[in-house]
Amino acid sequence: MTELTVDEIKRILPHRFPMLLVDRVTEMVPGERLTALKAVTVNEPWYQELDDKAPEEAYHYPSVLLAESWCQSAGVLAAWENPNPDVLSGQVMLFGGVSDVEYLHPVRPGDVLEHRVTLSRSFGDTLIFEGESLVGEQVVLRVSRVTMAMRPASELTGGAPGEQS
Amino acid sequence: MTTTREFCTPVDGTPEVTDPGTGEGPARTVVLVEPSEKVFAGHYPGFPIFPGVCIIEYVHHSALATLPEPGDDWMLAAIESTRFLSPVFPGNTITTELTWSKVKDSDALRCKAVASSERGKSAQIKLRFERRGNR
Repeated sequence: MTELTVDEIKRILPHRFPMLLVDRVTEMVPGERLTALKAVTVNEPWYQELDDKAPEEAYHYPSVLLAESWCQSAGVLAAWENPNPDVLSGQVMLFGGVSDVEYLHPVRPGDVLEHRVTLSRSFGDTLIFEGESLVGEQVVLRVSRVTMAMRPASELTGGAPGEQS
Repeated sequence: MTTTREFCTPVDGTPEVTDPGTGEGPARTVVLVEPSEKVFAGHYPGFPIFPGVCIIEYVHHSALATLPEPGDDWMLAAIESTRFLSPVFPGNTITTELTWSKVKDSDALRCKAVASSERGKSAQIKLRFERRGNR
């Protein structure tokens, strides 16, 4: 069992404000599973441009960020034994694809997401995760399959503007 | 910031519909990924790459702008699949082609999309939409 606070999460993930979407890891069995928390607040920048007359639905947390937050939790599990918070060198974790991410219930400011991630399979440098996210006892997100792969950083930097040969 | 929105989102731009898809071919949208997009500050410091989920978000907005059925209560019910094929960088333009179909034995709609940048295909994405009232 391992608990991680955000200072330790930042030594594992390269994401930073406003895209670091994991607040705490409450339980981890390396190579197996993890539970992480993300608190949603109306002070996140996504809410900044909302019109004062916007309806209740407008405050539902962006669906794609729920998926991102879950995937970052999976990223902590993936990179725990070999952390590299620098995206410019060494091996980096690339998000290969997702299948069947279902949104079951809206998430609102004030909610605390509990992401449950299980490593379902791994072969070579490729890892496959599944799991769900809860608010209280309600399942809000179900993730059937997320694929991540460790790849040389040059696969990313080689495609950057001004760095192509 | 002077603009206001009626929904919250991590992306700053708004895809422009260049073909509503009412004819034979797919619907098409285009959006410039400005270097000032707020997500770049943290994804990643010193090496801005447009997050894969933000490509999905522009496809999501493109889908809502080209819905083949009326009503403003359609919502994203699932990301059925995504494959990320090449990164998107600040200043790139994302062009998305969207093909709509009905999901068998339900009232849901499926949107198959291909998002491309100057570097070729960025992502293949399948989204499912349902009416809010049907959930």
